[in-house]
Amino acid sequence: MKIKRRPLMIMIVMLCIATTLSAMTAEQIMREADERQTYDSSRSSGQFKIKDRFGTKVSTFDAWSKGADESLIEFTSVAERGQKVLRTEDSIYLYYPDAEELIRMQGSALRQGMLGSDISYEDMTGGKDRLSQYDIVLEEDSELVFGRDCHVLTLTAKTRSVPYPKEIVWIDKENFIVMRAEYYTKSGRLLKEMETLSVGTLSGIEVATETRISDKMKTDTETIMILDELEVNIRIDDDLFSLDELSW
Amino acid sequence: MNKRLLHTALRNISRNKRRTILSATAIAVAAMSIVMLFALITGMTNDMAYNLKNYYTGNIQIQHEDYAEFERFNPIHLMVDWEDVKPALEDIEGISAVVARTQFPVSLYIDETNHGAIGVGVDFADEAAYHDVENIVYEGRLPEDGKNEIIMGGTLAHDLKLEIGDRVTMLSTTASRGTNAITMEIVGIASFPVTNMNSAVFWIPLDRAQYFLRMDTGVQSVLIKTDEDVKEKRLIPIIEEALLKETGTTFAVDSWKDINMMFSLLKLAQNVYYFVGIFFFLLGSTVIINTTMMVIFERMREIGTLSALGMHGKELVRLFFLEGVVIATIGSFIGVTFGVVITEILGRVGIDFTDAMSGMDFEISSILYPEVNIPLSIFVFFYSVLIASLASMIPSKKAAKIEPVEALRYI
Repeated sequence: MKIKRRPLMIMIVMLCIATTLSAMTAEQIMREADERQTYDSSRSSGQFKIKDRFGTKVSTFDAWSKGADESLIEFTSVAERGQKVLRTEDSIYLYYPDAEELIRMQGSALRQGMLGSDISYEDMTGGKDRLSQYDIVLEEDSELVFGRDCHVLTLTAKTRSVPYPKEIVWIDKENFIVMRAEYYTKSGRLLKEMETLSVGTLSGIEVATETRISDKMKTDTETIMILDELEVNIRIDDDLFSLDELSW
Repeated sequence: MNKRLLHTALRNISRNKRRTILSATAIAVAAMSIVMLFALITGMTNDMAYNLKNYYTGNIQIQHEDYAEFERFNPIHLMVDWEDVKPALEDIEGISAVVARTQFPVSLYIDETNHGAIGVGVDFADEAAYHDVENIVYEGRLPEDGKNEIIMGGTLAHDLKLEIGDRVTMLSTTASRGTNAITMEIVGIASFPVTNMNSAVFWIPLDRAQYFLRMDTGVQSVLIKTDEDVKEKRLIPIIEEALLKETGTTFAVDSWKDINMMFSLLKLAQNVYYFVGIFFFLLGSTVIINTTMMVIFERMREIGTLSALGMHGKELVRLFFLEGVVIATIGSFIGVTFGVVITEILGRVGIDFTDAMSGMDFEISSILYPEVNIPLSIFVFFYSVLIASLASMIPSKKAAKIEPVEALRYI
């Protein structure tokens, strides 16, 4: 009888070992998500659909990035044509065609919405290496968001240099795309929400192509960011992210 | 009898010059103060009404019909098409001038720091027909149409350490509800009559404001100045009809008296001023009463002597009443005359309250010009005479009842 049970026991033990080995830690999940969002270099184009109490307006953009810390957005829609937002390792600069100087965003100005959207300049400042900035805890290993099985992680800031002291993120188990995120103050007040409405494949990479961001401190507003094109690991001149180049 | 009493009264007045001068001076100072106080109040309320009509709303203001509802959100996109509206107003009788303005909040970016301010886009040629716009130039000149030029409130320029020739970059929200920034040169320093404008406001050419704010031919407000004898309420339906016919659009067309808070603020201020005025008026009255009564109480010895010589009670009352009337008439006349003359002079040179009013968020000019109110001055004259005369009767009546022996005990 004992002999007959042994294969079953072995199978259960083997299954447990396999499950343990395959279960990812919170840090591993975060690292995977961060790595998948960060490219050596990229060029993209898309649009912001900004909805407020007066209606919806659309602004189109081209964007370039290099690593996790350098990015440039240039607006191409008529009303904002030529306006640029440059993010360097430690600062954000705005370029306006009719202004003779670059405007460096700092202090409370960073909390302003970019083009009046729900995305603040501050949202651009947080580095993509969240492992070094947050204590990360895996809250739930499985929760469905828009029909996708997700990990649920709670991120608590280790430093004051990040825009939000606390975040809860739902990360797709399969493609490690952040399907939903909530951003809180230290006292637990919800400040902002993000949801991935659509996932698509651009240049062979699975990415969030439609994302909704909603600033909970405003009434009746939301911004939908649509990614139309994406090229990654392309050659980009280093000068593109310099202040001199920004003025041209 | 009365002639003899009047003669005696005049002799008494002239005999004790020091007492007469002191009594008349007290009445004169009280009357003068009242005249000047009410002149200042009249000047302040008229000044506030002038400022509201010239710098804020016009006699009649035209805006997008939803603008007022969303004003706190800076809805710069809720605008009036100036090119459509202007022709509709040209042939309406009773309109003396029309200007278009666009007011917008900005951040002035100076040395990597943002400073809040209020920009106003104005058409300087139209403004010249509306009010004495050259008068606001304290230093430099007015900006020219089509050029990125600013005239900035003096206190604002001083606070930001800016001067003529400096270039300043401003950021604002546009009519497309995005943001924009532009750099302009300061060509003039303004001395706006309103203190809070000096510390927060700058003016730029309307066409540059339209370009900067992506407004095309739109403006935020159209301000209408009406002829002196025209009632705004009568003109508003005519303007509404003309606008509807010309543009096919309904606008918010309001009298300055109906625009949020403005007129009610003025009425409130007026009531506060008059309350303070009445308080001083009563204070002046007590000075007159007190002086007159003291003068008579001090003359008990004289009253006793007159009684001992056979003057009856009623005659005594009449005598002191007549003395009171004569002194009050002289004092009031001198006081009111001085009050009117001084007010006239101050009305021309103005009283500078710049330092006292710095930081006050109120639509009153920092230099005030008191205005003589002739009917009120005449009233003050007769009121002072009446009060002083009546005040002289109270102690006189009491004195008349006192026995000569008792009156002589006051010696």
